[in-house]
Amino acid sequence: MVIRVSHLHKSFRVHRREAGWLEAARSLWRRDYRVIEAVKDVSFTIEKGEIVGFLGPNGAGKTTTMKMLAGLLHPTSGEITVGGFVPFEQKPEFKKMMSLVMGQKSQLIWDIPPMETFLVNKAIYDIDDRSFRQTLEELVELLDLAPLLDKPTRSLSLGQRMRCELAAALLHRPQVLFLDEPTIGLDVHTQENVRRFIVDYNREHETTILLTSHYMGDVAALCDRVMIINYGRLIYDGELSVLTEKLAPYKRLEVRFSRVPDMDWGEYGEVAEIEEGTVVLRVAREKAAGTAARLLERFDVRDINIEDPPLEEVITRAFQEERV
Amino acid sequence: MNMRRYGRVFREFFRACLVEEMEYRSEFFGNFIASFFGIAIALLTVHIFFYQTDRLGGWTYGEVLVLLGVFNTLRGFIDFALRPNMPRLLEHVRRGTLDYILTKPVDSMFYVSFRHLVFWRLIDVALGLGVIGYGLYVERYVPSAADVCMFLIVMVASLLLIYSLWMMLMTTSFWVVRIDDLSFIFDSFFDTARFPGSMYRGAVRLVITYILPAVLITNTPALALLGKWRVPTALAALAAAILFLWLARRFWRFALRFYTGAGG
Repeated sequence: MVIRVSHLHKSFRVHRREAGWLEAARSLWRRDYRVIEAVKDVSFTIEKGEIVGFLGPNGAGKTTTMKMLAGLLHPTSGEITVGGFVPFEQKPEFKKMMSLVMGQKSQLIWDIPPMETFLVNKAIYDIDDRSFRQTLEELVELLDLAPLLDKPTRSLSLGQRMRCELAAALLHRPQVLFLDEPTIGLDVHTQENVRRFIVDYNREHETTILLTSHYMGDVAALCDRVMIINYGRLIYDGELSVLTEKLAPYKRLEVRFSRVPDMDWGEYGEVAEIEEGTVVLRVAREKAAGTAARLLERFDVRDINIEDPPLEEVITRAFQEERV
Repeated sequence: MNMRRYGRVFREFFRACLVEEMEYRSEFFGNFIASFFGIAIALLTVHIFFYQTDRLGGWTYGEVLVLLGVFNTLRGFIDFALRPNMPRLLEHVRRGTLDYILTKPVDSMFYVSFRHLVFWRLIDVALGLGVIGYGLYVERYVPSAADVCMFLIVMVASLLLIYSLWMMLMTTSFWVVRIDDLSFIFDSFFDTARFPGSMYRGAVRLVITYILPAVLITNTPALALLGKWRVPTALAALAAAILFLWLARRFWRFALRFYTGAGG
């Protein structure tokens, strides 16, 4: 396995201060501290070539965990190995086998074209000319960078910049890639492109990828496996489809009529929405097909749709549970 | 640490900065003229002093010029490599982009101190060397090979000392993230170094000679070039430089441990 985390804890001591002038003055000589446990007893392993989605509301401990994996934060207790290295020892060999991309922070040099950042990284990672040329060629093609390489970074759009960030992070061919909110702020079309790239790249190079995101679309498109963290605890680790079945053991039946019959739907399922011409029912998974057949038989149905509940709904439910 | 590799990285930093400067077509001429006027005013000041006296703290006119040249050269190096990096480190800490630097397989202290270079500041170095030459000419002194050798040794020691002091100051930005430019603290004491240390009296002299060795940093190389070197002094300067470098290194490591929450 590439990543192994066992009984990971991280707590921060934060300085607490009430609002107001007097309090501000008081805090100059007397500081109250409070200990926040950001990550509590988290354990998991990730195999080579996996793409794992890391989900959780803001402040749940996603980024903290990821920073510990990247060697940027020192765990309070517990053990981490990434590719056989202990991240916080920050060995150069470790740094050469991993890469970190943060959607909200840029590593590109602002005033000059992205190519210059690539060249700086080439020197920093000690990449020889041939592999640099090869890798760059591949990335330029996959990410469609050719028209961007010689434009100053500051003149690029957010999406264009993100594509360049990915290239800058992959030039040294890392085996492990940490993506923290890689699609944040991007439009739908660009999000789509970035996702496709991540999937292709992962398939091509068997890069192990851990990704955090707010967008369920990212997770649904990229990850078979998700880990859900809430209040610092890992509450679910497993396949996305299993999670859906567990937390939302129902299907959505969207039924369209020419005219919605005025009746009690209780015998078919729970009504989720009723609109003009459309009724959406929640029906237990195993009964979904039978219910659909009965509806078709008894009513003048124009169209019927059976689908899984939206991921947002599933995840929101997960966050409300203590343990999944 | 592989010196050749770091040489390559440094060259790459230099190249990227050159491209960056070109992007803005920085007014090379403007800067050149500003540097030129700066040194002209400094020369004039020294000249005015010597209307009143023919010795300044025991130094002759020519000797003070050599000192001024050394001062200008060293300040040129500071402005070339160190000063541009100070506000960036503050920025990196505040915005969290330091995280990227810490994931790079290159020494982080090296990276934060040399990533940004303002190459046209090397003009000050050249002008400084020119003033040194002029001072020697006024003094009618031709340094021997041993003088030059000693000069180079203590000059390296001075550069290391400056770098270490600067680095320690820069490192405080992990805690003092609000002050936008800490460099004025450095400037205010380094400015004392343009004059002979023997000009200062009492506590001030003690502080700038031993605690913040600004005076030592400029005076020792100037004296060495003028043939007034002593081997123990040179060795002491080198030892002090290495000690300060070690301290700066320790302090940087300590700050990083604080930043990453290790035993902090």
